[in-house]
Formats: sequence, C-alpha cells, structure tokens
Amino acid sequence: MKINLNGEIVFASTGGRNFELKGKPIWFIHGSGQSHLSFMLQGRFFANRGWSVIAADMPSHGLSSGIPLDTIEAMSDWHIALMDSLGVEKVQIVGHSQGGLIGLDLAHRYADRVSRLSLVATALSIPVNDNLIDMAKNKEPVAIKAMMDWGHGSEGHSHDHTMPGQNHLNYGVQMMTANKSGALHADLQACVDYVNGPSAAAMITCPTQLILGQKDKMTPLKFGLKSAEALKTVNVTIVENAGHMLPSEHPEEVNRALRPFFTKS
Amino acid sequence: MTGDYKFNTLSLHAGFTPDERHGSAAVPIHQTTSYVFKDTEHAAALYNLEVGGHLYSRISNPTVAVLEQRVAALDGGIGAVATSSGMAALFVTVLALCSAGDHIVSSSQMYGANINLFQHTLSRYGIETTFVAPNDPDAFAAAIQTNTKMVFGEVIGNPGLDIMDITVIGKIANDAGVPLVIDATFNTPYLLKPLQNGANIVIHSLTKWMGGHGIALGGIVVDGGNFDWGQNKRFPTLTESHFGFQGVNLYEEFGPAAFITRVRTEGMYNVGPCLSPTNAFHLIQGIETLGLRMERHMSNTKKMLDFLLQHEGISWVKHPTLPDHPDYDVAKRLMPKGAGSVIACGVKGGREAGQAFIENVKVASHLANVGDAKTLVIHPGSTTQSHLSPEAMKLAGLTDDMLRISVGLEDFEDLQADFEQALRSAAKI
Ligand SMILES: Cc1ncc(COP(=O)(O)O)c(C=O)c1O
Repeated sequence: MKINLNGEIVFASTGGRNFELKGKPIWFIHGSGQSHLSFMLQGRFFANRGWSVIAADMPSHGLSSGIPLDTIEAMSDWHIALMDSLGVEKVQIVGHSQGGLIGLDLAHRYADRVSRLSLVATALSIPVNDNLIDMAKNKEPVAIKAMMDWGHGSEGHSHDHTMPGQNHLNYGVQMMTANKSGALHADLQACVDYVNGPSAAAMITCPTQLILGQKDKMTPLKFGLKSAEALKTVNVTIVENAGHMLPSEHPEEVNRALRPFFTKS
Repeated sequence: MTGDYKFNTLSLHAGFTPDERHGSAAVPIHQTTSYVFKDTEHAAALYNLEVGGHLYSRISNPTVAVLEQRVAALDGGIGAVATSSGMAALFVTVLALCSAGDHIVSSSQMYGANINLFQHTLSRYGIETTFVAPNDPDAFAAAIQTNTKMVFGEVIGNPGLDIMDITVIGKIANDAGVPLVIDATFNTPYLLKPLQNGANIVIHSLTKWMGGHGIALGGIVVDGGNFDWGQNKRFPTLTESHFGFQGVNLYEEFGPAAFITRVRTEGMYNVGPCLSPTNAFHLIQGIETLGLRMERHMSNTKKMLDFLLQHEGISWVKHPTLPDHPDYDVAKRLMPKGAGSVIACGVKGGREAGQAFIENVKVASHLANVGDAKTLVIHPGSTTQSHLSPEAMKLAGLTDDMLRISVGLEDFEDLQADFEQALRSAAKI
C-alpha cells in the first residue's frame, strides 16, 4: 500500500493481503540498499496466517520517494513516524542486517513501541570496509554486484532457488539497482557511523531472537553470537551453510524460526 | 554478472544441487505430473506463492526448473520459464504483456512462424504489429505508439541474416517506456547476452544450438528484471491486481520478477505449453557442452566461408562476418566471437543447380532445422518456398539459387569433400 508521510510517498508491502490492524503488526526492516522485496516470502507467509504485516521501503528505496536518511537514528525516527501515521502503537520487529541496527535502536530508544525484536543476519555494529563505501559512492553498480556476490551463500552461487526458475544473484542486483542512486551509499555510511549498538543492547528489555547464517560473510557469525551475549538471549537459530541473504535463500528455515517467536495479540 | 562462475562452469553446474538422499550426480528426470503435499498448510502455502516448490508439472517441475535456472544464469536473467517449443515461449511472452487493442513493433526479417504469429494469429485477437527493417533504428522509433507493449526482433534474422543493433534499438524502446524482447535463438548466450546489451526479455528456441543434438523441442523465456513496469500505465497485466493469488499486484510484490511470475501464473496455468521433464533433461545435456560446441561451430563456419568464397560453383555468399555484409560493423561489435553458424549462399545455375546440390550431399543432412551438431542444408527455392514465383521470392528477400547452410561440428575436411562433390554434380546441370 502507498502512504503519504510528510509529503513523500511511502510504499509498504502488506504481504499481499489488505492491511488490517490486528494485534501487533510484524514490522520488517530491510537492510542496506535493499527494499521490501527482501522479505517477499516472509511477508506473504505471515499475512496469509492472519498477522498484520508491514514491510516498508525506506525513502529512496523500492517504491518509496524521498531522499535517503543518513543515520540509523533518523531511520528509527522515520519508522516511528510511519507507525504513528498508521495508528500502530506497538510492533514486533524483524530487522535484517542494517535493519537489525535500526531494530536495536528502536527497541532501546522507543522501548514502549517494540514488543519483540527478531534480528536476522546482523550484529551490534556493521563496520563496512572503506573500499565498498567508496564503490557505493563512485561506482554503485560495481558495489551492488560485489554485495550480491558476498551476500549470497551456496544457493545463490549455484543458481538454485526454492522458487522454480528464479535466480538469486541477478534478482538481488536488479532489486538494488531499482533503488534511487545514492541510497546504498547513505545506508552503508549510516551503518559505519552507528556505534550505539552495544549500549542499546544492554538496555533492551523486550524478548529478542537471533537468526544467523553460519557462512555469513557480511555480518560474520561470531559477531552475531556476540550480540546474543550482549542481549542475553538464548533464542538463537544458526542456519547451516547460509549466507547473509538468509530471508531469500533460506525462507523456510527463517519462517520456521520466526513463527513461534511472534504473538498474535 | 556478479562474481559469478564463468560460462562453461555455469553451463555444467548452474541451477542444480544434488539431492541429499540419493546424491544423483546427473540431473534426475522427475517424470511426474504432481507432487505430494506435506500437509494442508504446505498446499495452501504453495498456492499463495509464499514458499518455493512444485504443485503440478504444467506450472513447474524440478527437472525443468534446473534448465530454467541454468539458462537464466547463462543469460544473466532474474528468472526463466521453459516451454514446449520456441514458438510457445514467444506466445506466453506476448500473452503476459498484450491484450486486445495493443500493439507490437517487430523486425520484418524473422523466422516465418514468428512473423505469422504476429501477422495472422495475434491480429485475429486484436493485437496489431508494425513490421520494420531490423537495421533501421529510426523506423523502430517512428513505429512506437502509445499502445505499444513490446519491441521485438531476432539479433541474427532467420533466414536473411540481417543484424539488429539491440543496443541502439533497446535504448529507443526503453526511452519510449517499452521493453525490448529478443529472440536470441541464433546467437545463444555464448555469442551475445542480449539482457546485458539493451534487451529486457530474451526468448530462445532451445531446439536449435542450445540443445544442439536435434532430439528435443523446447523453448524458454528469460526475464532480465531490468525494466521498470511501473514507470507508466502501459502494463496493467503487471501493475494492477492479478486474477487469483488473492489479487496480488505482481509489480509491488515480486518487483523485478513481475513479468516472469505472470508468465508462469498465466501462460503456464491458463494455457499450459509446458516442457516435458524428459525433453528438459535432454536439453540440459546439450547445454553442458554449449561453449565447446559454439567454439567449433564458429571455427567450422569460418572455414566454410573461406571454402565457399573461393569456389567457382558459388556465385555469392552472405554472412554477417564478411566485410561486404551491410551489418558487418554492428555484428562485429555485438558478437566479436562470431555471428552464428548459418550461411546463405547462391549456387551457379539457379533453382535446378541448387536442387542438384541438395540431392547430392551425403555428410550434410537435407532438412528443415538449424543449430544441430550435424551440418544441415536446405534449398528454400525447391522446398519451403517452392510455391513462390520468382517475383514473390524476390519480395521475401530470397533468390531461387539460395542455399541455407547450418554449419555443424564435423571434421571440416569431410564437409569440404562432401560440398565439393555436390557442387560438381550441380555444375553438370
Ligand atoms: C529464430 C527462431 N525462433 C523461433 C523458432 C521456433 O522454435 P521452435 O521450433 O522450438 O518452436 C525458430 C525455429 O526454427 C527459429 O529459427
């Protein structure tokens, strides 16, 4: 659905069902240079099982207009503004990669708006290498290809897909290319600049969960596990052989882990 | 496209993971119509397009999916749907984009059935086509209307061998808000990947060079995912609510995969020109050696051209790699590795001499196909076009002395000897 937020268009996928506010919506937050499409199979899965689902494109991403936000905190504030405009009081968050940092910040600074926090393929901080930041700024198509190469695990590289006939790597490249130019660089810089992850994690009181890829090259498993320690969460799923693009490469494992974590009320 | 495997590695491996239970190293033939659901929830999930998997082999099949994923990888596409023939691939593409009242701009120099589909079949359902010369980009620009839903053509036209400059024509189409759809049968991804050179959708007849063995018909549609269907209101089949699937908006929910999802959920569901798993298996075996075969097709084509050019029994030779071909420069830029293995040439002595040549070849096969591992020859003047008067032949760009040769992989010395003796017989006429 399309929402007007402060004069800009926001597109939010509702998992293919009409949005009806029931309980606490599952609120998907996409990663750097991604869009609602990275949660395609999660959104449809939960919407079809009676949850309210929102997977919004942040400004300059997917089908949303506007200029890119440049800090993790500004992104959190934007999500709160979107919740307000939809009349949503509390959400159950799924944050992938950079979306996980936003999730940490939201669950810390807006603790009363977040009932549960699921962090997928993420860490307390995401230090992006200078080379990638530079490519994102000056050679965006090259940065996109590099990210999709590093981001995908064996499914992507063997061109094998659970959706018959589809191709992970090339789909990922086209999804990212469809965002407005500049969105990726702003995202990656925001990840680098975000240093409050450890302090936020220490303060978070809502139930948390981690779903991590065993072979994740972008947010390596050991850093994911450190955030589990900091959050004192025991709800950790490690998906064997999985890379960073867990939600699309391993949708069934991700959905299986997410489902019991969320409440219907 | 990404830090991806290279061409021959993809040809051998892409799209297939041996299954854990049996570990079969070759792609198994899943000769089944249907698939046992795990439970009702799983069945519902498949119908809701929320999990991957197979429902019914008209829509998808595990063996066919390996072929689709392999060709998508080779062509740099985001997804593919395989079909029972190349013609079916073109038809389901049109079906996904066009409705009555819509319009297509197409190259005029194409395989006869492609022309006939547009001119005689689609026109009966209210879809009109304007045909323009493939090497006249301005004519494409001028022919695009507000109801045009696709620009179409073959990179190497069959049988005239004209070259379409897809980089230039792709830009013209995209600037007008229309996708460029390319029949890449004659070039294969080995010679040119249209999706990285201006095209948005590629179709292949897999029956030809992709399979290469001449034992299985098949076709495929590959989606580049590089066209923004929401940029205008031209494509309601993709940007408005889809019948079934809870009225899903394909553009919003599937993004770059909107088109290929429509092909599967409409073309395969409602029309059903599906590829048989056994044919998919055969085509996969062929694609494993595509790179090697194409190298050899190109080197034998070069030798054949040299042979024909110096032969006194041959009056003219046409191939896009010859400097006197009108599209020589475009062909060289688009396809530096070679411009296909089909050659047109004229036999001295006209229709009768052509006929005598065809009847006397022994290694080459006289039949109506191209792209086989074996060398194929046909004399349109005495076969496919024999009913045409000399004037009508001229209008179709054909002459009655014309031979079409699809150069195969034989030892060239044997081909040369065979052609020598057949040309000697033709010269006696
Ligand atoms: C250029 C071209 N496109 C499409 C086709 C149709 O392919 P099929 O015979 O697999 O339907 C052919 C077949 O000759 C062809 O040459």
